[in-house]
Amino acid sequence: MLRALPDLTICQQMEMSSLSTSPARQKLENLLNKSMRIRMTDGRTLVGLFLCTDRDCNVILGSAQEFLKSTDSFSQGEPRVLGLAMIPGHHVVSIEVEAESLLTA
Amino acid sequence: MVMKSSMEEDEAGWGLGIPEKMKNNANWVDITQDFKGACKELNLGELLHDKLFGLFEAMSAIEMMDPKMDAGMIGNQVNRKVLNFEQAVKDGAIRVSDLSLPELIGIMDTCFCCLITWLEGHSLAQTVFTCLYVHNPDLIQDSAMKAFALGILKVCDIAREKVNKAAVFEEEDFQAMTYGFKMANNVTDLRVTGMLKDVEDDLQRRVKSTRIRQGEQRDPEVELEHQQCLALFSRIKFTRLLLTGLIAFTKKETSSVSEAQKLMSQAADLLPAIHSTLHHGVQSQNDTTKGDHPIMMGFEPLVNQRLLPPTFPRYAKIIKREEMVNYFSKLIDRIKTVCEVINTTNLHGILDFFCEFSEQSPCVLSRSLLQTTFLIDNKKVFGTHLMQDMMKDALRSFVSPPVLSPKCCLYNNPQAKDYIDSFVTHCSRPFCSLVQIHGHNRARQRDKLGHILEEFATLQDEAEKMDAALHSMLVKQEPQRQHLACLGTWILYHNLRIMIQYLLSGFELELYSMHEYYYIYWYLSEFLYAWLMSTLSRADSSQMAEERILEEQQKGRSSKKSKKKKKARPLSREITMSQAYQNMCAGMYKTMIALDMDGKVRKPKFELDSEQVRYEHRFAPFNSVVTPPPVHYIQFKEMSDLKKYSPALQSADLYMAASKHFQQARLILENLPSPDPEISSEKDVCETYFRLSFQVKKRVQYLKLNRMQDYVFYASALPEIIHVFTKVNRILKVAKPNIVVMKLLAGGHKKETKVQTVFLPACKQSESFGHVVAHVVTPRIHRHCHVSIPSSLQAYSLHRYILHPLQ
Repeated sequence: MLRALPDLTICQQMEMSSLSTSPARQKLENLLNKSMRIRMTDGRTLVGLFLCTDRDCNVILGSAQEFLKSTDSFSQGEPRVLGLAMIPGHHVVSIEVEAESLLTA
Repeated sequence: MVMKSSMEEDEAGWGLGIPEKMKNNANWVDITQDFKGACKELNLGELLHDKLFGLFEAMSAIEMMDPKMDAGMIGNQVNRKVLNFEQAVKDGAIRVSDLSLPELIGIMDTCFCCLITWLEGHSLAQTVFTCLYVHNPDLIQDSAMKAFALGILKVCDIAREKVNKAAVFEEEDFQAMTYGFKMANNVTDLRVTGMLKDVEDDLQRRVKSTRIRQGEQRDPEVELEHQQCLALFSRIKFTRLLLTGLIAFTKKETSSVSEAQKLMSQAADLLPAIHSTLHHGVQSQNDTTKGDHPIMMGFEPLVNQRLLPPTFPRYAKIIKREEMVNYFSKLIDRIKTVCEVINTTNLHGILDFFCEFSEQSPCVLSRSLLQTTFLIDNKKVFGTHLMQDMMKDALRSFVSPPVLSPKCCLYNNPQAKDYIDSFVTHCSRPFCSLVQIHGHNRARQRDKLGHILEEFATLQDEAEKMDAALHSMLVKQEPQRQHLACLGTWILYHNLRIMIQYLLSGFELELYSMHEYYYIYWYLSEFLYAWLMSTLSRADSSQMAEERILEEQQKGRSSKKSKKKKKARPLSREITMSQAYQNMCAGMYKTMIALDMDGKVRKPKFELDSEQVRYEHRFAPFNSVVTPPPVHYIQFKEMSDLKKYSPALQSADLYMAASKHFQQARLILENLPSPDPEISSEKDVCETYFRLSFQVKKRVQYLKLNRMQDYVFYASALPEIIHVFTKVNRILKVAKPNIVVMKLLAGGHKKETKVQTVFLPACKQSESFGHVVAHVVTPRIHRHCHVSIPSSLQAYSLHRYILHPLQ
């Protein structure tokens, strides 16, 4: 099995600790582990837990489920379970979260 | 990631406990712009994540919109709509009634191909279940298609059940998951075979009515209908016979095995007719979407994409129709061979049967059928004998232990009976495991053989204790008899067999490097085979001791002097074969040493390891064995040290010695008295071949096969031709050229050339005594030499290797 890699370089870690968290960054951090719905360029929708993102808006969702074509998923039947999925930033059309997730400070 | 068969069946759900509200009735707020804006504030290369989530996890996520990782994307790439069965029927894309003969033939042939592709290790979702008709046979109105769809489902169900039960498969062999599909469980097996028979009878009437009549003008349309009806009839009948044969295997009686064999033969007889009518079936239509595969009507390769785990490969390549018939014929041959096992009643014979069957690398279905035929419902051998009884019989015929001899006082002694009963009970599991090990594919067997040595070491311990206890009991009452090392010898024999098989499999799987050959061959010839021969001799003397005692007791009764008929000792053949193998290995061992002396063996630069490390790794599984004690590296070096000879040995001496070993092996093998199937001379081989091809010709004429392809196909399917070259002959084919090559090498031929010596496996399958040593004239040319049948030994004559570069 693979060894666990250090998650950030020393450099990055130092950077993160030295920066004060701006409001925008804080907003993002508040969204971590909340459920998120992302529409992709080919019309599919992924629903999962927001786990990670980066500057290019590449998003990683956990326990992701894939719905076809319409966001009203029942008409499409069972969603496909993907597990951990990464959506490249340039394929993201829209990002939605549950209203309740925005309330937490 | 591959799904294992042991998982739950209703995988289609795969619910992970995500709250319902996530799906549709939560209040979703769009934050796209905010999110993207916030992301821009991150630094290049910086990841925003939870403390517990890191690069390692991020790396293992599947990337969407990448065709290699995103299976759901494919559906969006093709222009056609991917419809399931019900949708396709509603749409009119597929018909459930009034299917034409060519359509039926084409669909059935493609289904057969899917079935075979599944049996070769692909998932049902990408093979059989791509046929929309099997999704819901109840909706089909065409009687032939309906019966066929149900038949295929039943065949899959039984095959799956057998493979699961036998448990001799790994993920590379077989995918058992049914993805929640119904396998025609609402219909009985009998009903399905009945439906198939009805369709058959209907078709037979049509065939008769369209037959050529005397003096009538032949209408081409009627003739075509006649041919196509016949084609369809053959396929339906084949399906019915295949299904009925598999059903027979599910019965518990041993008699049903013979029945299965008969049914399989009948099914095989239909294969030429199927082969000659393949062209009647409709072919796949090419989809206009770029990069797509041709689509056959009634099939949708992507219909199950969403059921597959994300990391599954995209398409399973379905085999072509032309290969389908060939595969079925080989499969049926294997199944017929499996049926033969019930004719072997002794344990050692059964073990040999399993080993030999495995050497052909048979498919998972035939291996599984062999396992479940041997141990029906994992209780009794062939459903009739207890494993313990079989082992007692094996002990009796191998080593004749007094405790199992009716004329011995121990036979009825309750304490002794207890001892021997508990011993064979403890032996049951390891021996059943051994049989199961031989059912796995060749690569997996090696590892498992290494592990089972531990269990056999425990048995050896117990055997020794038993022998000691029984011996002390015996000498008190019958001082002239002894019970030393009886059970121990039997266990030792099996131990040695396993160790030898373990080492030989390393050659077959091409695990050893050339510079390792010498110590592997040393271990085999100087150690394992030496032990094996002494073990067999000891067993033989034990048998003779028992026979003498029986004779003494009988002498008193009969006054007639029985004519001493010189009967071959039961173990003599095995002893002789072991001697031959030992000589082959000894020859190879000396050859390798000599080649090393001449600088022809490339050794790696040992940086972090050494030869000792590799040696100990190769023989590591032997460390758990008590008898024979493992030979450690230092010991090995001492025992194999050539410096003890004076004058010092030159490579030429070793080549000559090797040549003598091969010579010896050849003499032994050629003088083997041959029981029925063994052939030991070239002349016999040729005679048998001609005899068999004459038989083929006669059968071909009888079946009125017209096309050359059918003849060739049929001839190649005859198992007898393939098995003409028996074990003995295969080894001879290696021994003979080796003798000559050794003599040449001893004479200093090509000693100075700095060319690499190439070892050519004498035949594609195993028999690792088969390394024909040859010198390649130019270093660039390396080639494996395959045995093509038939080949006379002329093909191996030396000049091909030494004088001409290998093409």
